[in-house]
Amino acid sequence: MSAAKLERLLNLTALLLATPRPVSAEEIHERLREHYAEDADAFRRAFERDKDALRSMGVPIVVETVPGVVPAVDGYRIPRDRYYLRDPGLTPEELAALRLAASVVRLEGLSARDALMKLGGFVGEGDEGLGLSVDSLPAAGVAPLFGAITDRHPVRFRYRGTERVVDPYRLDFARGRWYLSGHDHTRGADRLFRLDRLESPIEVVADRTFERPPVPQPGLPLDPWQLGEGEATEARVSVDAAQAPWIVQHLGPDAVVEERADGSVVVAMTVTNVENFRSFVLTFLDHAEILEPPELRDDLIAWLERQVAA
Amino acid sequence: MSGRRSPAARTSASDRVARLLAIVPWIAARDGPTLDEVSARFGVPRAKLEEDLQVLAMVGLPPYTPDTLIEVVIEDGRVWLRFADVFARPLHLTPEQALALVAAGAASQALPGGDTDGPLASALAKLADVLGIDPTEAVSVTLGESRPDVLDALRSAVAEGRRVRIDYYSYGRDERTARTVDPHAVFAHQGAWYLRGWCHLARDRRVFRVDRIVEATVLDEPVERSPTPEDGADDPFALGPDVPRVVLELEPGARWVVETYPVDEVEELGEGRLRVRLAVAATPWLERLLVRLGPAARVVAADEPALAEAGVRAARRILDRYRR
Repeated sequence: MSAAKLERLLNLTALLLATPRPVSAEEIHERLREHYAEDADAFRRAFERDKDALRSMGVPIVVETVPGVVPAVDGYRIPRDRYYLRDPGLTPEELAALRLAASVVRLEGLSARDALMKLGGFVGEGDEGLGLSVDSLPAAGVAPLFGAITDRHPVRFRYRGTERVVDPYRLDFARGRWYLSGHDHTRGADRLFRLDRLESPIEVVADRTFERPPVPQPGLPLDPWQLGEGEATEARVSVDAAQAPWIVQHLGPDAVVEERADGSVVVAMTVTNVENFRSFVLTFLDHAEILEPPELRDDLIAWLERQVAA
Repeated sequence: MSGRRSPAARTSASDRVARLLAIVPWIAARDGPTLDEVSARFGVPRAKLEEDLQVLAMVGLPPYTPDTLIEVVIEDGRVWLRFADVFARPLHLTPEQALALVAAGAASQALPGGDTDGPLASALAKLADVLGIDPTEAVSVTLGESRPDVLDALRSAVAEGRRVRIDYYSYGRDERTARTVDPHAVFAHQGAWYLRGWCHLARDRRVFRVDRIVEATVLDEPVERSPTPEDGADDPFALGPDVPRVVLELEPGARWVVETYPVDEVEELGEGRLRVRLAVAATPWLERLLVRLGPAARVVAADEPALAEAGVRAARRILDRYRR
């Protein structure tokens, strides 16, 4: 790439950023005549390419009608409040902490490098000698949702065969997947969506904004036995000593209602999805037993009896 | 630095523009930083930096008379910028850039020794404020479940090159064993933490899921077998050709099996049904899969006859427990 192109893109950015009113293409051609070909068609092609290049970097070039011109003509400008990054005032220690974090945890296809440059450059060291490493996290489709969360725009996508309009509240990465929680207007309720199950690309409804509820939105439960829409049932499950540490860690110590002398534990689980609950308990094979309620116990017995009889 | 795109992925034109738009406000806000400092801080070779600054001297506003151009003064290895007000602040963060930092920060806070009230936490709070979000509400990242003390012990064992003793519950084999391991790496992969190393019990390289490690003790002995280049080079989860295989027919509701486990072969049978060939590292693993799938899966072939009956056998064993 030539210095001439760099010079042209910077001058175009400066011009559109400095102008308080939209500037027509013709005027841009006139002002930047040293940078563009004289031929109108050649200018137009080069200008379109430059606009695309700047927009792809995130430069917010808006198109507005030039005031006071008849007939109406399109003009361009860069609104300063949308261009300038407000200074977060990061200290060198904070910049170094962000750099370290970004060198340990990476998202596929996303670069923290450009972000760090905008925030003040690379300060401190990378991840040498930390003793652990993290595979890149998947990130397909996540950034547009994050943008919609920060800008409070609803999003539209297809999920389980239905077109949804959702006010996005938060993103959770757990068990190797991204989940979106938000208010689903189609269902009229807060819902959790697995991003790898979206059935269409995400469309951000940029001309609308939503009010985030004032109350903090807790992450919705991610455990599969709580992903149902059925009525909640309190279940008790006993788990043998060998598997007890794992279930206690997984559910948290609050879930333990009894610790037995042989090292086994009884845990309480709130179930809204019977099928997923059964499947989870069965991962313990004969090292776990549903104690209560009888309906869930009978459901599992019936399930196994069918299998034995088949 | 991570996440660097290959040169072909983005034109160097945009790269240079993006870089300058970030560097200019930084220099302009300071009284003559050295070129070496700018070069190191923004990861750009000094020669390239000087080239870019030359171009910057040709940038300004109409009518492009000398007094409207950015003034670039380079003297004694230091650089001053004047009349650069139009670029007084860097370009805002794109959602991609903001997410890369916020997610990395959220994940790092949960690492052993991760800071919840130090510079990372305050950096994330400041960033969240600029983005107009609540620092803890918009994004959370759980790299994997583990007991914090276990993960921390393994991490320091790797960092210090010391042997570690683990109390491990093998999910596949459904048994709990004490093992001594020469740890080579601790890594997060697809939502779980793993320890890779030389297992003295198995006398072989092994990968252990950290959330199945009940207890970990760092020993005084140094590791005997250091990682060789081949350690970690191959897929740590690959199952060799000597592992027995089964062929299952899956109903549409059981297609998740293909997304969850590595399969040798998949064949569409129509109407959403699949025939798959899977490696069976250990019998309890297959038992579990079959009792969970129930009528949604059928074993149609197995390298070992006992595997064909694994589901029914496990179902009987579990039923025995309920009938006690």
